[in-house]
Amino acid sequence: MSDYKINQELEPVQIEVDKYRSYYYAGASGDFNPIHLDNDFAIKVGLPGKILHGLCTMAFVYRTVMKNNDPDKMKKLSVRFRQVVRPSDKLTIKGKVIEKENDTVKIGLIAENQNNEQVITNGCAVIVVGT
Amino acid sequence: MAVDTKFIGREYKPTTYVVGQEKIKEYALAIGDLNPLYIDPVFAKNSRFECIVAPPMFVVVFAKDAMEVLFADNEIKLNMSRLVHGEQEFNFHQVVKANDTITTKGRIKNIHQKNNNDFVELETKSYNQNNELVVDGLWTFIVRG
Repeated sequence: MSDYKINQELEPVQIEVDKYRSYYYAGASGDFNPIHLDNDFAIKVGLPGKILHGLCTMAFVYRTVMKNNDPDKMKKLSVRFRQVVRPSDKLTIKGKVIEKENDTVKIGLIAENQNNEQVITNGCAVIVVGT
Repeated sequence: MAVDTKFIGREYKPTTYVVGQEKIKEYALAIGDLNPLYIDPVFAKNSRFECIVAPPMFVVVFAKDAMEVLFADNEIKLNMSRLVHGEQEFNFHQVVKANDTITTKGRIKNIHQKNNNDFVELETKSYNQNNELVVDGLWTFIVRG
């Protein structure tokens, strides 16, 4: 993780949200809001059906930037949840180096679904580069 | 009805969470992040951390309790059926390790209105057992008008 250049694009990461992901994530995170688990309930409150937790998508964004690197190098991560993510969506997460100073780089990030709709915008990661 | 701006600055009672090794593993599997530092005790023991560490986004597991305190606040009374998570920011200061005891303080940083929607910003600061700040967060919720 040392040779980032301004405007360099990260290799896009594709993640297919499996059908049961929101259940796994609910159990692991403790967020059991029924909009993530119950189709009927989600529709009743105006959603297209049950949706994935935004913070789970944010964790996918983290993976895109960091892969298996030392987690201590991630200093900041921020996102805007632009649109809901649904089970079986196919996400593509893209990043681009937008700033570089001393030992940190700033990466701009977005996530799109299979319909080319942006589900995450204004993503930003600040990571420490080098050793 | 607009969320009253008089609640800006309100501080909530801190919440405490003990980080378990198996809970970290469960979370890492749920987000599909298979970094061995999170799931392989032998690998992690031989790393510079010398034990299993939590993925940075594990912050949601312990800081979420502070969010729930906001949601349960009977005075501010956020309309949960109109509420969506709009934005999220985390600043990571230190890696969280298995068996850390994390205390999170929540505070309403701002409330403002835009296009008939209410924006409620919750700031969280999470400290470990040595009183070191490990992560702070800014959670922006939108109550749709």
